[in-house]
Amino acid sequence: MNVGNAGGRTAGSMNNEPADMSVADADVSDEELCSLFPGAVDRDSAAHLRGRLRRRLLINRCAECGTWHAPPKPVCPSCLSEHVVATPVSGAGTIFMAVFLHQGPPAEGVDYSTPYPVVTVELDEQPGLRYSSTVVGSPNEEIQIGRRVELDWIMRGNVPTPVFRLAGKSRA
Amino acid sequence: MKDRVAIAGAASTGFQARNTDRSQASYVAQACKAVLDQCGLTPRDIDGLCGSLPTAPAVQSMLGIPELTWFANPVIPFGNHVAAAASAVYSGLCDVVLAYHGAYRMAWNTGSALKDPFRRGVTFGGGGVVPPESVAGSAGYTAWASRYIYEFNVPRESLGHVAINSRTNAMANPGAAMRDPLVMEDYLSARMIRSPLCLYDMDVAVDGADAFIITTAERAAGLRLPPVLINAVVLGMTGKNEEDQTPGLRQHGQHVTVEALKAKSDFWIDDIDVLLAYDGFSVITLNWLENVGFCGPGEAGSFIADNWVANEDGTGRIMIKGRVPVNTHGGSLSEGGTQGTGHLREAVHQLQGLAAGRQIEGAERALVTVGGFFFNAEGMTLRRGRPR
Repeated sequence: MNVGNAGGRTAGSMNNEPADMSVADADVSDEELCSLFPGAVDRDSAAHLRGRLRRRLLINRCAECGTWHAPPKPVCPSCLSEHVVATPVSGAGTIFMAVFLHQGPPAEGVDYSTPYPVVTVELDEQPGLRYSSTVVGSPNEEIQIGRRVELDWIMRGNVPTPVFRLAGKSRA
Repeated sequence: MKDRVAIAGAASTGFQARNTDRSQASYVAQACKAVLDQCGLTPRDIDGLCGSLPTAPAVQSMLGIPELTWFANPVIPFGNHVAAAASAVYSGLCDVVLAYHGAYRMAWNTGSALKDPFRRGVTFGGGGVVPPESVAGSAGYTAWASRYIYEFNVPRESLGHVAINSRTNAMANPGAAMRDPLVMEDYLSARMIRSPLCLYDMDVAVDGADAFIITTAERAAGLRLPPVLINAVVLGMTGKNEEDQTPGLRQHGQHVTVEALKAKSDFWIDDIDVLLAYDGFSVITLNWLENVGFCGPGEAGSFIADNWVANEDGTGRIMIKGRVPVNTHGGSLSEGGTQGTGHLREAVHQLQGLAAGRQIEGAERALVTVGGFFFNAEGMTLRRGRPR
């Protein structure tokens, strides 16, 4: 498991753009990681969240049997190996479920006056392996179950957040 | 454990869909006192205590229960509490369990709870910042509703019938929070909360409480009311039980619960007099109807339409084969969101003959399903334990 050091750039030095000026290349400390994702980090999710800071979508994969799982767990649910590795996925997949929030928790950049899409995407890496986020760059009418998507990133505060866009649409 | 543990009594405060000027504990105290009175028991008779909030130690102290030999604070929904209490009674860890649930308007079930300063500190879980890009929690059922509609190509009216059934039944329940008539035009024009679900697809956040006495069948037989015997209880889960990882609409917790419950029970759907099928979200009820075996996957909407008793004013209710009503108390959608205690209490009252203006004549057997798809698909079969 990647244990960060204290030498990374601090959150205060970041801004919203351009993207490659963010924390992306920094190896943030545990303290910084927990402050960037308040209430969301534990030892098992830390590698996934550090991956986000580098704009890499990391999903746990078993180094012994090769099975992927989400959300991150300390052992492989298929073979109980402790040798699970946060591993990049392409982020390509198919929309499996789609919700449009007419109201919801306050979040920077989210305006519920247009219903906010939240989708669960079945990732190409393995049947049944899914990841949930929003879809950017397309009107809600086009965001439908069965549509192909690709990975994209938006900034939430100073933190890169993985999102999806419909396949073939230009990047956010 | 079959028929060896009984529910000896059930009591409710009734429910209100507003921020009342009372604490959660005050409702729990009221319901607990009522069920003790109903059964002819005092706090001295209680040696087991089971509920989520307030915690069992807090409720023991509040009610002045002198000594407990067993307690538990299971997670919601209430099937967990029934299974825990029945196991404790059957194994002899204790003899008489007081089980309770305080339904309370909090930030997780209604944002308007935050307007009341006394409620802001009352919550489940540890807080933290919840981003909108998630289907954990309440959004999970909306996500699976989208999948249900996609896979089976069902119209919104199928969900609407579940809401109308609950509302029509709630009109006969003085304790229900929502008792104004609801018709399909109301449903279809309602405010969307999380598309494809609208206001009427989601249970109503309420203040109130239910309480139960769970004890041995022998002890219950000597108490005032007819015992309701727990024929079987199952808490089913699949390996992948997170909202977005659950395998599919043909493979989730309900399927595990149904198969085990059928195997452990002496009766099934052809022999029940009332069905209490959880309706915290309308899509859950459609799934229960299918999975317990009334119809096939995706067919619940047409099954309801075929078993619908329509009133002239546009209200209506489900009567399976013209005989078996569903959620006679008004369900979570209209009585109020109680994590299944409403469904259980109504089953107990129907089998005891205490359901007043909505009593099903001669009700002997009930199927109660509590909760949804994931880590909460629970069920029990109940039967009356005393001849009429």
